[in-house]
Amino acid sequence: MTILESTAANQYDAIVVGSGISGGWAAKELTKHGLRTLVLERGRDVKHVTDYPTGMMSPWEFEHRTQLPLEIKEANPIVSKCYAFYEGSTHFFVKDAEHPYVQEKPFDWIRGYQVGGKSLLWARQTQRWSDFDFEGPARDGFAVDWPIRYADIAPWYSYVEKFAGISGNKDGLPNLPDGEFQKPHEMNCVEDYFQKQIASKYKDRNVIQGRCAHLTEPKDIHFQQGRAQCQHRTICERGCPFGGYFSSNASTIPWAAKTGKMTLRPHSVVHSIIYDEKKGKATGVRVIDANTKKMTEYYARIIFVNAAALNTNLVLLNSTSNRFPNGLGNDSGVLGKYVAFHNYRATISAEYDGFLDMKTEGRRPNSPYIPRFRNVHKQETNFLRGYAAGFNAGRGTYTNQDGIGADLKKNLMNPSWGGWHVGSHMMGETIPKENSTVQLDPNKKDPFGIPQLAINMFYDDNDEKMIKDFHEQFTEMYTAAGFKNIRTRDSKQAPGLDIHEMGGVRMGKDPKTSMLNKWNQLHACKNVFVTDGASMTSTSTQNPSLTYMALTARAVDYAVKEMKKQNL
Amino acid sequence: MAAAFGGLLSLPSWAQHWTPETVAGSPLLSALEESTLADLAETIIPETDIPGAKSLGVPAYIQKIVNDCMDTKAQETLKNGLYTVSDLAQKSSGGKTFSGMDTNQRLNFLNQLNAGADEETKDFFKLVKSLTIRGFTTSEYFQTNINHYQLVPGFYHGCVPVSTGK
Repeated sequence: MTILESTAANQYDAIVVGSGISGGWAAKELTKHGLRTLVLERGRDVKHVTDYPTGMMSPWEFEHRTQLPLEIKEANPIVSKCYAFYEGSTHFFVKDAEHPYVQEKPFDWIRGYQVGGKSLLWARQTQRWSDFDFEGPARDGFAVDWPIRYADIAPWYSYVEKFAGISGNKDGLPNLPDGEFQKPHEMNCVEDYFQKQIASKYKDRNVIQGRCAHLTEPKDIHFQQGRAQCQHRTICERGCPFGGYFSSNASTIPWAAKTGKMTLRPHSVVHSIIYDEKKGKATGVRVIDANTKKMTEYYARIIFVNAAALNTNLVLLNSTSNRFPNGLGNDSGVLGKYVAFHNYRATISAEYDGFLDMKTEGRRPNSPYIPRFRNVHKQETNFLRGYAAGFNAGRGTYTNQDGIGADLKKNLMNPSWGGWHVGSHMMGETIPKENSTVQLDPNKKDPFGIPQLAINMFYDDNDEKMIKDFHEQFTEMYTAAGFKNIRTRDSKQAPGLDIHEMGGVRMGKDPKTSMLNKWNQLHACKNVFVTDGASMTSTSTQNPSLTYMALTARAVDYAVKEMKKQNL
Repeated sequence: MAAAFGGLLSLPSWAQHWTPETVAGSPLLSALEESTLADLAETIIPETDIPGAKSLGVPAYIQKIVNDCMDTKAQETLKNGLYTVSDLAQKSSGGKTFSGMDTNQRLNFLNQLNAGADEETKDFFKLVKSLTIRGFTTSEYFQTNINHYQLVPGFYHGCVPVSTGK
């Protein structure tokens, strides 16, 4: 591999590795402070609006009316499992054969390699963490204590929420703090009924409307981004030409570009971070051009690693030097360990025969949410931690499809209302464990000559107990609400399909047992910051992206202050 | 090693752009089989005061889905079934093809076929009927005129009396 001559032209103030939900925020915040920032993205560019080829297509305009061809499914057994992968969205997902990895245990790694990353594809749920989450590891004796508490991050939640645009209710729950909300989405009759039933029967359980990153009442700051009110199209994973939901593409990346301080370089696969032993800090990154396969070095005073949780682990593990033979900043030996995810295996469904005189109209890109109620204030079950859950109700239509001919046709055009269906899925906290790991495969390389990531993540006894409890508790709650034909299911899906993999570069107070300090800064290499999912000490039960955004904005603020003090 | 990753690096052509006019005929069926399939679909959902299966391109949809989205077993079921229909039609009607029958004859023929047929022919009939229904209900005509589908602007009303409109 040729190393091109690297000159002063490759010198920046800051480098951001990755342009997804956290990398986009790093780019926006760094350029806001006037730093000349290089944003490296391994995939192709995806420009807002222009590069959403299916964004304005109606379902009948697709060759297979949105159904996936068999050839695509058979060639992509992993990504085809993802709920958002269909004829309208295949171009935003990594195909199985393109970027191989090693499954030491089954792991469905769902990835989006392009500018914007998975921020184009995410489920857009944005629940805050509370101290019941941050205090979890210390209270329950797993992982290490988080070096931050809710008070440290609360103002940054507000900061990112205002810019991203979050809809929701102020529910006043200590275990799910309120934020800066635009008006919430409506509940339907049955959801509203279930909310009241649960409130009257349980003093510690709540059904609320999900908080989500959709503009329901866009403010001036959103119009300045060129974004408009969410149109309730519910085809978000194709990219939203209205900017109705938050993505790097619609929001942070063009905002950073507007400063004139950002250089965005797509097709740039980061091989490793360069560590200078004399200076005792990182000086830049080695980048392989995805098209030419040539390597170039880029330099900067500070580096933000936002390659997405597992790839951030990979980059650090592959950044070896005499000082750090086991990966950059890895004095503790915990790099690549204590990775975890969310347990989405359990679901429940039922029917309700009330409200038969009522229906819903239109579509909703969101659904109600039930915050964790298990072990919140104290340990009370035979498993640690707990789960949050989604809840939604809807009314299907029924058509008589008997016979053929004109009568059948008439029936198809005159559907009658069926009963209400309700359903929930769990989002369980999993416990980070030392033997839950990602590491570099000693033999296998990817198409760029970079070691493949070997993933060893698994469900444990705590997860199995939690699935059982979810089924029991929700059966009880559904029964109490008068729901009928209750069915529980365990999908047995492998870890990964939750797309909430976290950890491996965890934050902590002690450099001996953690990688990052309370500012998401490598203990042992102060000018490198990790603010994506890799930094998570524990997983809580919330969809994690909002927390990555807040951690990123907070870390950039700190980094810039340190640079001004000449500490970085 | 590079060759192993070569297969999927570009998007398949259908992911680029597509219009109804660009759909080519299926490589799966002969011209005779295609016309039998079209008349089957039209018998299941005929033209009335609103368009039927043929006008809405349902036969092309069925071929497209069976050819691209279903396995070889379904493809064989379709081909064998079309052969059986042609064969039985000629035997039962004294030499007429299925397409040569009038509407009532076609309806009677299909109802008899479904009542007395072997499992494979029943599977065939079930396949064609379900895809005809799907092709009809996912068509632009049905979605816009019957279902009142709108891409934008969207909305959500959670509690609306059933008695109000559609």
